[in-house]
Amino acid sequence: MAMIVVAEDEFLLGDMLASILEDEGHEVAVAAHGAAALDLMRVHKPDLLITDFMMPLMTGLELATAVRKDDALKVIPIVLVSGAQGSIGRSHPDMFDAVLDKPYNAKQLVLAVQKLLDDRGAI
Amino acid sequence: MSKQLPRLTTGIPGMDEVLKGGFIEGASYIVQGQPGAGKTIFSNQVAFAAAAAGRKVLYVTLLAETHDRLFNVLSTLDYFDRDKLGTSIVYVSVFQTLRDEGLSAVVQLLRRETKRQDASLLVFDGLLNARDRADTDLDVKTFLAEVQSQAAFVGCTVLFLTSAQLGDGSPEHTMVDGVVELHDDLIGMRTVRQLQVRKSRGSGSLGGYHQYEITGQGLTVYPRLEAMLAYTSIEDQPEPGRVGTHVEGLDAMIGGGLPIGSVTLLFGPSGSGKTSLGLDFLDGSSPDEPGLLFGFYETPKRLLLKSQALGVPLDGHVESGSLEMICQPMTENLIDKLGRDLLAAVRRRGVKRLFIDGLGGFERAASYQPRLVEFFAALTNELRALGVTTIASWELRDLFGPHVAAPAHEISSLLDNLIMLRQVELESRYKRVISILKVRDGVFDPALHEIGFGNHGLKVALPLEPVTGAATGLARPLEQ
Repeated sequence: MAMIVVAEDEFLLGDMLASILEDEGHEVAVAAHGAAALDLMRVHKPDLLITDFMMPLMTGLELATAVRKDDALKVIPIVLVSGAQGSIGRSHPDMFDAVLDKPYNAKQLVLAVQKLLDDRGAI
Repeated sequence: MSKQLPRLTTGIPGMDEVLKGGFIEGASYIVQGQPGAGKTIFSNQVAFAAAAAGRKVLYVTLLAETHDRLFNVLSTLDYFDRDKLGTSIVYVSVFQTLRDEGLSAVVQLLRRETKRQDASLLVFDGLLNARDRADTDLDVKTFLAEVQSQAAFVGCTVLFLTSAQLGDGSPEHTMVDGVVELHDDLIGMRTVRQLQVRKSRGSGSLGGYHQYEITGQGLTVYPRLEAMLAYTSIEDQPEPGRVGTHVEGLDAMIGGGLPIGSVTLLFGPSGSGKTSLGLDFLDGSSPDEPGLLFGFYETPKRLLLKSQALGVPLDGHVESGSLEMICQPMTENLIDKLGRDLLAAVRRRGVKRLFIDGLGGFERAASYQPRLVEFFAALTNELRALGVTTIASWELRDLFGPHVAAPAHEISSLLDNLIMLRQVELESRYKRVISILKVRDGVFDPALHEIGFGNHGLKVALPLEPVTGAATGLARPLEQ
């Protein structure tokens, strides 16, 4: 049971992602853009961040950069879920611990999340 | 001295002409149309053209298909370029802000993001949702005004997409600079896509309906020919002189040949020899006088076979590039596309000899018949100005009969010369007869002549024996 922050501007996707993770027993907070996600992270200090790339106010890359700069947050694993910028994610392994291309299936996502949480020692 | 406002090209073939230059930079437009009319393809085409020109585009959605699904659909179109996603064109959704915080918050978000991205084009897909969220008409107007004003200030052009059927008096219409409405109309049995620019502040536009197609290249718009070519594209410079018809004996009947740059209507019933005469005419094609056949009835291969059977094989001209054959089956065509294709083919090779087989192909392609006079006026005027000597065939409805119905009234007066072909029943035989009814500003032989097939194409023969009623095909010998 982990705390996960999701940054996703597309409401339907964010909603679906939250459902999938909540079904696995996790607690999820969804933000509609990168700046709001950063605020949520500072408040919740989650076990994991899942982020989209194209978002208003702050892209997924800008968000990851901000997280890595923040001493309180920099060790939190970050998953990039992207329709078109997967390659950008993969070329920044220091920023993103995992990259999933849209469309992903629920199973892939759950497995990726579980692996990162296990590695980190969270349950 | 009037000022020209700077423009953003639409990147949609034909659309800049309708807008008389493209969108005005920094202006706001509504693009409205029912689902399926093509708004998304339209706006993305504009976006990708802007991106290709080095601009930044911000594409904002509310509650629509996911961006991923959108990219899948767009990937079937030629203009889609995956590399532009997230770099030149940024797609974001602001639905949650709209739902949780309302219109003003969306305005703030749009303003910040437009500036952040340095966008010179903003597409906002979901005006209908914004309207639903508004409590009053004033809220809607305020929303539009606030988005527009900041965008205009930074020189960002805005396209608001909506599937609402907004009327002319709607608050949305009053606020924006222009309105483009896309229709998918059912006319008879077929659907015809048409668009209309219902408002265009800061620029004239071609009013009324213009047909468009959606293909793998996205939208292609065919502006109404008679609106686009209200005046010829170049000045008409009439040349004296004649063009030989290449039909043995015919030039003598019409004062030496067809006047240069004139448009001749060749009419007669089915089987009277119109196509054959046209093929004979095209035998006069050469590198100096490029020829074009623009037809609806037979394929190029069949026409070449026919020309061989006639004794005027055109293969050589085709192979050397002196003659081009463009054949469009008479199925469901768009008349303005036909007109555009014809004129493009004429301009491309500097065509001087043109045979249109036949005008009926254009007539059948018009979804609104009353515009034919204006359409043909624009088409023939342009052909004259381009110095093209044209023969156009027209099929008479009745093979035989008391009525000689010339093409729809007023069209004959648009044409310079009228030549009629008939089959006349005489002494239990059909005799092919040709007669000249009109040569503008020229002399012609008024006698009806028999015309036959020689070894090398058609051959005008003796004047027909004196009879009455030959023009109807039902001749009677003169009373003795």
